[in-house]
This record gives sequence, structure tokens and C-alpha cells, in this order.
Amino acid sequence: MADQAVADQKDVHEDILLAPIAQTGPGFYWAVAALSVFILWGAIAYAFQFSEGLGVTGLQQPVSWGFYVTNFVFFIGISHAGTLISAILRLSRAEWRRPITRMAEVITAMVLFIGAGQILVDLGRPDRVLNVILHGRYQSPLLWDATSISAYLSASLTYLYLPMIPDIAILRDRLGKWKLFYSVLALGWTGTEQQQKVLNRAIAIMAVLVIPVAVSVHSVVSFVFSMTLQPMWHSTIFGPYFVVGAIFSGIAALIVAMIVFRKAYGLEHYLKPIHFRYLGQLLLIMSLLWFYFTFAEYLTGYYGAEPEEMKVFWAKFSGPFWPFFWGMVFCNLFVPLVCLVRLGHHTIGKVLAASLSIIVGMWLERFIIVIPSLSNPRLPFPLTPYHPTWVELGEFAGSLALFALFYLLFTKVFPIISIWEIREGREEGLKEVEERVKSYLPDEVEGAT
Amino acid sequence: MEDKRLPSDQLVTTLQWVWVAGFIFLVLGIISWFIHLMRNALSLRDVPSAAIGIPLVAIPIFLTLASVVFYVFWGLAVRGRRQ
Repeated sequence: MADQAVADQKDVHEDILLAPIAQTGPGFYWAVAALSVFILWGAIAYAFQFSEGLGVTGLQQPVSWGFYVTNFVFFIGISHAGTLISAILRLSRAEWRRPITRMAEVITAMVLFIGAGQILVDLGRPDRVLNVILHGRYQSPLLWDATSISAYLSASLTYLYLPMIPDIAILRDRLGKWKLFYSVLALGWTGTEQQQKVLNRAIAIMAVLVIPVAVSVHSVVSFVFSMTLQPMWHSTIFGPYFVVGAIFSGIAALIVAMIVFRKAYGLEHYLKPIHFRYLGQLLLIMSLLWFYFTFAEYLTGYYGAEPEEMKVFWAKFSGPFWPFFWGMVFCNLFVPLVCLVRLGHHTIGKVLAASLSIIVGMWLERFIIVIPSLSNPRLPFPLTPYHPTWVELGEFAGSLALFALFYLLFTKVFPIISIWEIREGREEGLKEVEERVKSYLPDEVEGAT
Repeated sequence: MEDKRLPSDQLVTTLQWVWVAGFIFLVLGIISWFIHLMRNALSLRDVPSAAIGIPLVAIPIFLTLASVVFYVFWGLAVRGRRQ
């Protein structure tokens, strides 16, 4: 009787989590159509730029990096959501991770393609990428980037794929379509004890490997700036500052994705307010940490009062970039503080508001790092303000839409919440947690009254 | 009677080998690229320290990735099937 109840529960959970793959409603087609409009805008913009050259953008000397590099840093930052958060939660055996990890890992894999793509767009002549492959020089931090991003992308795809194998086997056995595709990817998974052991070991190795790789990626992204002598770029704390910002924006992106798919696919039973509360608390901590690094970065620049640095400093504080700078502070500090300090009521709404604000704020932060320093170089360039054109705006909109489309399509092929991990949590998690908590507590002392 | 909709076991096995071989080739390709850049830097005496140091960190990561994928493939698809 009890076994029957467990089996029924198992079927119900599988049905709910497989429903987005088995059935496709009109909402999906509407979403694809809406995203396609932006992707088309991006494609037209890119085709125009490809035929006319980078002159159709707002890029010129001395501002040779504009929206594209801002977007590159922003997207690579978002990619930290996944793998890093998922790996840390897995290694720390946080039980609330179970419905979250897959969503986080997918963000990483998808957004890394978009981030790396920004560099191809920024090249103007994409064929020149061959020069990096044939004649790349390790003197350039840009090549360090290429190396670390290729490592991170490979590691993230592997880390996404391995925990999906048992779910792919469920799809192979239960779904009537794409049998060959699922059979190949399932690697003959039948859930034997030996297979479980192999998979758990591999996931554990990947979880350990992926954390330093993820941290190194955003440190290396920061080196692209800090290895130069540009004012306000040549900073020793840029590495950790970028990593903190990346995790910060990554968690915000993860929360937004969770809320969207919770609503769209009816996953309220899996993504509960408690998950958002925990992530909201993490977001608040990251907000304070981000403020600490920002404060330290600007205070040391101000205290040094080097004339070229101060030009950039005042350009951000009260010069032409003040709306972006104070907008960044507002979005990354004030809104999260107001929304996240008390999460008693309307948890999901508050966490969503803070996350959206942080995504905007972190994009502004990347913008405020890239443009003002280039606009105020050490060499005596004439003042030429940077204004992005419709081409750059189109590329940005297209990139965001492409990321959303990739994510959406993923959810139509694979379950967005790990079925086997939820099942494992229900069947073994409770017992395992009880034993673990007992092992943390002091042993009972004999003879104690 | 055999279900016609089910893919043949031989086809699935072959494609699984192709899938894992593709990943291993990708990793080997990236490692070859690192070695090519390292050799270039050494022959041109162009910052050989960085050209050796960075691939020395990156290559073991890729080798670990390839090993993990192959370990999973062997443990699940090859040994699992035998059992």
C-alpha cells in the first residue's frame, strides 16, 4: 500500500515535470514569435555592420570598446549563476538546491555562447578570429580570456550534461518522440547501483573542478582591463570585484528565470517561497559585498588623487556619466536593501523586483567601467562622446532574445527541474539530513542528568 | 514482436561512441591549439613564460574533463550494458 503511494507520487512528479516537453501550448509559440522579432533586429543590425564595417556603430577613437565589450562582460558575469551556485550548493549538500540546480546550470551554458559571441561581433571582421587561433600571443590578456572561457564552457556543458543523464533516461522510456536522440544521450542508464556510483563520483569531481574554473574566468575577464594602464582600470582588486559582481548578477538572473518558468509551467509546488527567501538572502549579502568592493575601489582612486584618474572619477560622479553611476548605485544597493531586508510577506514579488533592478544595475556597472575610462584617456585625444547607434542596440536586444530563446527551447527538450534529484530528495534526503544533523551535534554523554 | 519505433541497439551504441569521441576530439583539438601557441611563442622568444605557464594550467583541466566524460561513458554505457 505504502509502495503504491510512493509509486503514484513518482508518476505525478514525472508527469508534471515532463508536461512542458510532452505538450506545447500557444504561449510557447507567442514567446518564440516575440523573441524572433528582436533576434531579427539583431540579425539585420549585424548584417548591416558586416557589410558597412564598424563605422556604423558609435565606436571610434578613443572609445574603441562600447556596448559590445560591456555586453561581453555582462553576459560572462551572468554565466556565474549557474555552475558556481549549483556546485557550491551541491558540495555543501544544501537540500533546497534540488529544484534549482538545473535552471542555474542551463543559464551558464546558454549565456556563455552569447557572451563569447559579443567578441565576434566586436571584431567587425569575424574571419579575423582565425588570427587568434593561428597566431595568438599569450602576451595578450585577450588570449587568456579565450583560454579560460573555452575551459569554462567545456566544463559547464559537461557539468550540465552529467546530472541530466538519469532524466534523459526517463525521457527515453516515457516519451514517445526522439527515441534515438534520448537513447544516445542516456548512455544506457538503467539506474543500477554501479551506474549511480559512477555518476555521483563524476558529478562530485565536476563540482569541485568547476568552482576554480568559474572564479578564474571572471578574474581573467577583469585582467583585460586591469593589465592596461588606463585610468581607473589598473587596479589590483578588479579580479575579486568582477567575481563578486558576476555572482551577484548571476543569482539575480537565476531568480528571474525561476520566477518566469514557475509561472509559465506551473511549478509552484517545486519552486516555493522558501527557495526565493534563501536566494534573496544570498542576494542581499552579495549586494553588500558588491558595495564594499565598489567603495574600496573608488576610495583608493580618490585618495591617490592621480590627475588622470580623477578626471574619470569626476566624469562618473558628477560629469556626463553621473546618471549611469548613480543609477548603478540605486539599482545595486538601494533597491535590494529596500526589497530584501524584510522578506516576511510578498517574498517572490520583492525578490523579483530586486533581481530585475540588479540585472539593470550590473549592466550599468559594466558600462561605467568600460566607457568613462576610454573617454578620458591619458593621451590628448579630442573629446568625442560615445553614443551607441541602432546597430549596437539591435545587437544587444538580439543577444538577450537569443539567450531567452535558447533557454526556452532547452525547456522543450529537457526537464528544467531535475526529476531524479527531486525523487532522491523525497526518498532519501529526509533520512540523510536527519543523520547528518545528528552527526553535527555533540554525542550524548553517559550519566548526564 | 520487436517495436519498430525503438532504435536498434547497435545504432545507439555506435552513436554513443561517436558522441564521446567527438568530445574527446574537441578536447584534443583545444590542447593541440595550446601546444601550437606555445611552440610559436618559444620559437619567436615571445613571452615564453606566459606561453608555457597558462597552457600548463589549462591543459590538465581539459584532460580532467575528457577523463571524466570517458569514465562516465565507460561506466554507464560500456560496463553498464555488459552487466
